[in-house]
Parts: sequence; C-alpha cells; structure tokens
Amino acid sequence: MLEVKHITKYYGNNKAVSDLSFTVKDGEIFGLLGENGAGKTTTFRIIMGLIEANSGEVLLDGKKIDYNLTDKIGFVTEERSLLTKLTVLEQLTFYGVLKGLDERTIEKDIDKWLERFSIASYKNRKIKELSKGNQQKIQFISAIINHPKLLILDEPFTGLDPINVKMMKDAIYDLQKEGCSIIFSSHQMEYIEDFCEKLVILVKGHPVVSGDLKTIKEDFGIKNIMLRGDDLPLLKLEKVKGVISVSKVRGEIEVKIEDKIVAPKIFSLVKNCNITKYDVVEPTLNEIFIAKVGGIHE
Amino acid sequence: MNRKFLYLTKVSLRKKFKTKWFVITNVILAVAIVLFLNINSIVSFFGGDFDSKTKIIVVDNNTNSYSLFEKNIESYASTINSDEEDVKVTVKKSEKDVKKLKENLEDDEILIELNSDSTEYLKAKVTSNEKIDTLTYQVLSQSLNSTKTTIGMAVNDIDAATLNNISSPVTIDRVVLNESNNVDENMGLIMSSVFPTIILPFFMLTMILIQMVGGEICEEKTTRSMEIIISNVSPKQHLMSKILASNIFVIVQGLLLVVYACLGLLISTNMLSTGMSLPSEVTSIFDSLVASGFIEKLIYVIPLTLILIVLSFLAYSIVAGILASMTVNMEDFSQLQTPLVFLSLGGYYLAMMAGMFNGSLLIRILSYVPFLSSFVSPSLYMMGEIGLIDIVISIIVLVIFIYLILHFGIKVYKVGILNYSNEKVWSKLFKAFKSKDV
Repeated sequence: MLEVKHITKYYGNNKAVSDLSFTVKDGEIFGLLGENGAGKTTTFRIIMGLIEANSGEVLLDGKKIDYNLTDKIGFVTEERSLLTKLTVLEQLTFYGVLKGLDERTIEKDIDKWLERFSIASYKNRKIKELSKGNQQKIQFISAIINHPKLLILDEPFTGLDPINVKMMKDAIYDLQKEGCSIIFSSHQMEYIEDFCEKLVILVKGHPVVSGDLKTIKEDFGIKNIMLRGDDLPLLKLEKVKGVISVSKVRGEIEVKIEDKIVAPKIFSLVKNCNITKYDVVEPTLNEIFIAKVGGIHE
Repeated sequence: MNRKFLYLTKVSLRKKFKTKWFVITNVILAVAIVLFLNINSIVSFFGGDFDSKTKIIVVDNNTNSYSLFEKNIESYASTINSDEEDVKVTVKKSEKDVKKLKENLEDDEILIELNSDSTEYLKAKVTSNEKIDTLTYQVLSQSLNSTKTTIGMAVNDIDAATLNNISSPVTIDRVVLNESNNVDENMGLIMSSVFPTIILPFFMLTMILIQMVGGEICEEKTTRSMEIIISNVSPKQHLMSKILASNIFVIVQGLLLVVYACLGLLISTNMLSTGMSLPSEVTSIFDSLVASGFIEKLIYVIPLTLILIVLSFLAYSIVAGILASMTVNMEDFSQLQTPLVFLSLGGYYLAMMAGMFNGSLLIRILSYVPFLSSFVSPSLYMMGEIGLIDIVISIIVLVIFIYLILHFGIKVYKVGILNYSNEKVWSKLFKAFKSKDV
C-alpha cells in the first residue's frame, strides 16, 4: 500500500505541490490528474525518491522509500526514457538489473513479455529502429519486468493503436489482480474513468478534487438529461430554473441541470412530446475536470 | 562494492569498448605508430633508394685543387655518415666543356666549377637541376672551405698548427654551482621534440575523457533515462560509475598506445639485426636524452607523473560530469566544456613553453594548479626548475581539489540531472552548492 501524507514541495518560492495526501491500496488503480505544470511530475519524483519533499512523507508498505524499495516500483514516464542506441534485450536487461534482477536469469522474463506484446522478433533490434508504439511497449515492459508492488503510469498509452491499448490494459489488469498498486496519470479522461476508482485532481499543486470517482460525480451536482422526442419545447426547457444549458448532441437534446431535483420538472415538460428517450446521466470526468480546473483559472 | 554500481560501470565500459569505432581507431593508431617508427625501412621497401649516390662533377679551371677537394669531400661525407646521417656522393673530374656539361646535367648530378682568385684564393660555382638538400650542400661547402683554407695556408706559408691556434674557439671553463638549476643544452631538443610526443597523447586522452563522461551523462539525460536510473542508484554512484568507466577506458587506451610504440620499436629492432636501422631522428633524440640525464631523471619522475596524470584524469572527469548534469542537450555541453578544454590546452602550451619562463615564480605556482599541474610539473622537473617535492605538493593539492569538487559537485549533480530547463541554471547551481543535502 502506498501512503502519501501531506507532502509539500517548493522550488524556490514556487509551491509545486501543496499538502497532498492520498492512499493507494494493494490492487487499486488511482488517478492523478492535472493540467500541465500542476505538480504531477513532482509528485511522481517524490514518490520515486528522486527529490525530497519539504514536508510530509511517502510510505510504501509502511516503509520510507529508499533505493531498496524502489526496486519494487515500476515507472513509465510521460516521455520515453529509453537509451535508443541499445538493443531491446540490452535495454530491458539494463533496467531489470538496476531493479535488482539477476542479469543471468532475466532473459526468460524478457522473452515472455516480448511474446505477450507480439514484439519477440525485435529482441535484438536497436530501440531507435522501432516504431513509437513499439518503443512505448518496451518502456512499459521495462517498468513491469520486476513485478512491481507499485506501478506509476504517466501517459502510458501514448502512440498506441486501440489493439495495443487493449493489450496493455489487459497487462495492467493482470498486475492489479496480483495486488500491484497503480497510479495512473493521463490527459485522456476516458482512460481514467475506465481504470480508476479513486483519483485526485491537482491545480497548481493543490488537490482541488479527491476521493472516490462515484462520490466525486455525485457531489459534482450537475447532471445531464438526454432526450429524444417530437417537438421538444426547447425554449421552455431553457427557462426552467436550475437548467444550465440546452444543446443538440449527436441527434439528441442534452439538458444540463444544476441538480438532480430539477429532473422531475424537465420530465413534466416533455412527457407529452412522444419521447423515446429520457435518461439522467452522470457528468463525465472531462466535464468535472474542465469545470474544476477551468473554474480556478477563471 | 555495490552490485548496481559495478553493473553500471560494466555497461558503460561495454558501450565504450564494444564499438566498431574503438576497433577502427585502434587499428589506425597501431598501424600509424608502427609505420612512423619504421618509416625508413618502409620507404626503402617500396623503392625509396637511400643508397643512390649524388654524382659531383668537378671542372677545375687551373686551380690544381681538385685532388684536395676530392679528399675533403670524401672525408666530410664519411664523417656525416658515421653520425647516422645519409650523404652518399661520388666525385669525378671532367675536362669537358662546361656548357655541354650543363646541358646534359642529370637530376642526381651537381656541377662544380673551381676558379682561382687572387684575393679569396678559391671561388666555386655550383650548378644543379634541383635544389640541393641541406646535408649535401653542407658537405659541399665545408669541403670547399677546407680546400680554400689549405690553398691559403700554402700561399701564406702558415702551418696547420698555427692556423688551428688562430681559428680555434676560446676555451671556456664552465662551472655550474647549482646543478639543479642547470638547463642543459640538450633540453632545447627535448622540449621541442620529446615533450610534444609525450604530452600530446595525454592531452588527447584528456579531451576524449571530457567528451566521454559528458556525452554519456548528457545522452541519459536527454533521453530521460536518467529518471529511471537515478531512482535505482544514487546520483553519486551514477556519477562515479561514469567516471570510473571513462578513466579505465582512457588508461587502457593510453596503455595501448604504449604497446603500439613498443611493437613499432620491436619491429624496427628486428630489422636492425637484419641490416636496417632505426630512424636517425629517433636515435639522435635518444642520444640527446641520455646525454642530458633525462633518462636518469625519468626513473624518479615516472611514478609521480603517473599518479599526477591519473588524478588529473579524475579531476577532469568529475568536473565534466558535473557540467554535463547542468546541460539540457549536447550543444549546451559542448559550450559548457569549453573552459575545461582551454584549461588543458593552456596546460599543454605552458608545458611546451616552460623553458621560456626559466626561474619564474609564476610558472612554479602554475605547476601546483590542478588541471595544469599534470602538464607543467613534470616538464619543469625535467628542466631542473622544480624538485620532486614540488611534484608531491602538486599531487596533494590535486587530491584536496578532487575531494572538494566531489563534496560540493555531487550536490550540483543531484539537482542538475533532473533539471531540464535552461533558465536560471547558475542560480540553481549556487543554491545546490549551499544545500546541506548530499
């Protein structure tokens, strides 16, 4: 289990991370969101022990993270951290041995993972000769070759096509089943919604939203009602108290409301319009992110 | 020692040695050095004829001095040949018409017209198709001078002993009270030919070292592999592994150069036993070295110089590593390493020109300065400007310097390797310098 307790980090006078706390249990996938420069990389670096926080602490299974514990952590960085002049085998061996694995026995594991990601034929090819997608797979394998207790994934799906994304997702779920704690960061909110039960959104180092995704959506208040029917009274709908907006989305009418208590009023207005669809849906994480992050910018 | 540290060093060494460029460079170096040391034999083998003789045709216009000239030229030529120089001439008198002789003059022929003169006793006109080489011309002019002197002596009735007394130089009884300050006449030759040969490889290896340490760190930084590596080993271990690997590489490369030189000399010596000879330049330099007491001094100075060189390599590589950590790409590193390059270049030139600063306190102080000491100290010692104790002082200063740059530099390194911005680099550096965290 990873425990991040009240960490704060300054770069000069700039507060990069401010009083950030969260816990990632074994087998849990946790989302760390934020726009560029929000403090995600600094948080990852603190967890990896690359830099020290000015205050607070990070514990993995109750122990302060040191060079012995980082052997149990896998890290996929946002930019590809590969030595492009090495071959695939050399690169994976290099990171594997640095993670404490035995140089003489590591090749079996490497073969297994290369096979699983359908890139076994590239084993002796130089990294620079591979496509971006294949390089991303190598980076992912290098992060999980040590069977980590904690896996940090910063934009892991960059450059991958849907088939390879699925391949990688399956691998992540397998690691989750093995009890690996996973921190996931991405600007693609659909991935976060797919993976994470818990998350934190950082804005300029401050956690502005944190907790369980379901609760976050409920607490967000704003709901969407999706309508399909004949002669819907759009002007009347707009004038209802508590309606934020009415718009056309993919052939349907989307009514954005401030709270779910507004929903019955909308229903009473449209019930005689031959409606074929009336659906109250939760807001997307994207909407929450834009509302929270954008709102602070405004 | 830490397993990961050893592994990092091993990988770094493998990257350096297991390249085609290392093999290609060393093959070229080995061939070049062996060829250089056997250049005479090779030129001879490929048809260069060192035994071909220059034919000197003498037209004696009533001076009756041909036989005297012939004797002199043979005598001078043989003296020079015994000094390992190569002047091979044949002399013959000709009664033919000068105009015809000039028209039919071959490239390996020199025509000399001897004419008598009432005041200068003997005048000569030398004609050749090509420019005459220095040694042959020297033999010619000395032979003509001697011939003229003999004629002059006969005309003026002066015996050889009297002339010798007149023309011999003043006898100077030279006493040097402080032997250590004595700059030998042979030192000029040593400083101009031996030192560049010894110091140039050291200078080149220093350049390679700076590039190697900086290049590797810069590569790991720009590819962002650094974050993964540094999360598994400490920055100190990382830096030390790069330094160790690069130093091992340049030391091995230096030893290989020595091996190639020995191989060249071995081949040359084998040829010597079969009648060929070492290049005359090599033998004359070696004779000068023996005469100046250089070889004797080397026995004392070699161990200390080796220590100084290894420590200097260490200092250069630590600073190169720290500088590389502050850069964002190879272009930045190329700029940042310039002061280091100039420092070593300065040391190289100071060592070459040390003889010009005979007795200067400044050059003595510079011989203690890290980065310069490995170049300057040994050369000053060989010149008798400083003693062994001064080299020991240089070593102590260098050890203290290395300790300090490691102590403070590692803080800069730790901050630098994770910094990807060019903004406020120096401010970040000084902040890291002051920080207590190592």
